[in-house]
Amino acid sequence: MTRPHTINRERGLRLLRTMRTIRQASERIAALYPSNVMETPVHLCIGQEAVAAGVCHHLRDEDKLFLGHRTHGPALAKGLGLRPLFAELYGRSTGCSRGFGGSMHLFDPAHGLPGSSAIVGGSIALAVGAGLSAQLQRADFVGVAWFGDAATNAGVCYESLNFAALRKLPVLFVCEDNGYSNVMPKSAHSAHDIESLAKVFMPTVAVDGTDVLATFAAAGEALTAIRAGGGPRFLHCKTKRWMKHQGHEPCDLGVVDRDRDCPIQKLETFLRGSGLLQGAESTQIAQDIEREIDDAIAFAAASPFPTPELLEA
Amino acid sequence: MPWSKFDCTYTAPTGGRQITYCDALREATDQAMVHDPRVFAIGLDADDRFGVFGSMRDLTHKERVLGTPISENAMTGVALGAALSGLRPIHIHLRVDFMLTAMDQIVNYVAKWQDMFGRQGKVPLVIRAIVGRGWGCGAQHSQTLHGWFAHIPGLKVVTPSTPYDAKGLLLASVADDSPVVFLEHRWLYKNTGAVPQELYTLPLGKANVLHRGDRLTVVANSLAAMHALTAIEQHDLDVELIDPRTIKPLDLDTITASVQRTGRLMVVDYDFPFGGFGAEVVAAVTERAFDSLRQPPVRLGFPDRGMPSSGVLERAYYPTPDRLAQAMTAMLLGEVVPS
Ligand SMILES: Cc1ncc(C[n+]2csc(CCOP(=O)(O)OP(=O)(O)O)c2C)c(N)n1
Repeated sequence: MTRPHTINRERGLRLLRTMRTIRQASERIAALYPSNVMETPVHLCIGQEAVAAGVCHHLRDEDKLFLGHRTHGPALAKGLGLRPLFAELYGRSTGCSRGFGGSMHLFDPAHGLPGSSAIVGGSIALAVGAGLSAQLQRADFVGVAWFGDAATNAGVCYESLNFAALRKLPVLFVCEDNGYSNVMPKSAHSAHDIESLAKVFMPTVAVDGTDVLATFAAAGEALTAIRAGGGPRFLHCKTKRWMKHQGHEPCDLGVVDRDRDCPIQKLETFLRGSGLLQGAESTQIAQDIEREIDDAIAFAAASPFPTPELLEA
Repeated sequence: MPWSKFDCTYTAPTGGRQITYCDALREATDQAMVHDPRVFAIGLDADDRFGVFGSMRDLTHKERVLGTPISENAMTGVALGAALSGLRPIHIHLRVDFMLTAMDQIVNYVAKWQDMFGRQGKVPLVIRAIVGRGWGCGAQHSQTLHGWFAHIPGLKVVTPSTPYDAKGLLLASVADDSPVVFLEHRWLYKNTGAVPQELYTLPLGKANVLHRGDRLTVVANSLAAMHALTAIEQHDLDVELIDPRTIKPLDLDTITASVQRTGRLMVVDYDFPFGGFGAEVVAAVTERAFDSLRQPPVRLGFPDRGMPSSGVLERAYYPTPDRLAQAMTAMLLGEVVPS
């Protein structure tokens, strides 16, 4: 993406707000995590917020987004509320999956989240099924597959790309490439670079996934083409994972430059430079979000736990 | 689409139109697709001129029959994704053995998708597969595996033995809002029986008593039920034969009540024995009606090893109506029957 970014103030602030919500919610989870109020593994999205915001801002409630284990960012960006998210992390009956899902299994069909899966790779196929459903029903929703770099090594990814391309299905494949599978670098898990693999099957665009405006622009073009009946598209978003694979601790792999790679800082710098963000607006947004998170946590903590009778067959 | 109004619990009519098991499946599929535009069929070779051994031949809505590449795992996910996006897919496998490449999707995804989200959503998905051996087919083209699927919470397992059941249970499976594994034995495909023309569904979880008797309860499904019926009729045995029709949910009430009357239980289970359907029935009946049992229960099925190919070995491996009759007779005489 060498084109200069063009964006209006409203869009810019909304992208900022979404990224800040993901960041601040994740930081709060990290802060609370050692106290064991959340009895569920968490794969945080700190550093990867631009992919979620940039792509999901183009999605409608009818579009079906199938996520893997790293859910919070894209789920919030797609419309899941902070209350049902935190309640689920707290294992409460008011959680989006009623306490049966935990962090990796979030459900909110009203916002186009038909469920997420923790077996790496498989949910890619479900998004293709959503695309098939749209095609057979002549409906105009899109299936969106969301996965990490390592999922491209699973056979189901190849099978899904092939079938989506064969039938020209309305599917967007979003590879959120943070360069690692747990602690294993991409060089140790992929003999292919991801673009060449995807290009065999469909038009593929690589984008700087720490640049929300670049991601937003690329996702917009891809989705416009898909909605116009152009068949599937693949978006390869290179990003950085700031935390360990799982849990509340910072990543110890020594690859993150938090100033250079921060998607929020990048957007704020751009917005300020373009005169779209002024004075204390950013602080105000951050404070508003903190209050929403306080509210969500209070809601979760006050919610009842599910009852064991629910375990009956 | 209102499916429920077609529910009926009546047993197979004795007269009327006779069609094959295969045609009953075909008619059910056709009527389901005509009745409900959300129903579509997908599978490897589902759309070719062989039409899944004839069961997909000449359908009214050919445009809703989709072939696939050899990608059973992803295609199961595709079918699930479609089921979560407004459709009611029937995913078809020419053999259950091919379906095993999709076990991640079947066990981790399809079966779990309702429980994993607090049962808030529907998963109207039918997975059809043809089971049983051909001729010298060996270990990878002969399996049944119904007990294995029944082990997984979240899957219903349906194993029709008659044309009447095949039609009513397939329609009930398509009408169901949870995943169903629907297993058809290829040796039943040419059997004929009375099948009503109109659309009807049979309840999932309700057994059918195929033969009345007082001295021994035999539980058998799918091809085993037909073999057991042949054995009982040819030797005029005083045996009650119960075909559970669906092995999950399992109609334990009917089975237990029968054993309480007869005092004896045999399960004919054409599947691998270890931890299987036969073991489950014996365990469940023993828990519920221990005091009624006059003899140790008996399981008959396959040896605990892969299927052979040579005709000599095949004939030794697979039970037959004659072997079932011998075992039932021995049990009625109070002899010890080797499993
Ligand atoms: C089939 C399967 N194998 C192994 C795992 C364990 N596991 C969970 S996440 C993960 C790494 C996935 O890396 P990637 O797909 O790049 O996503 P990221 O975690 O980086 O977002 C592994 C190996 C799993 N969940 N599923």
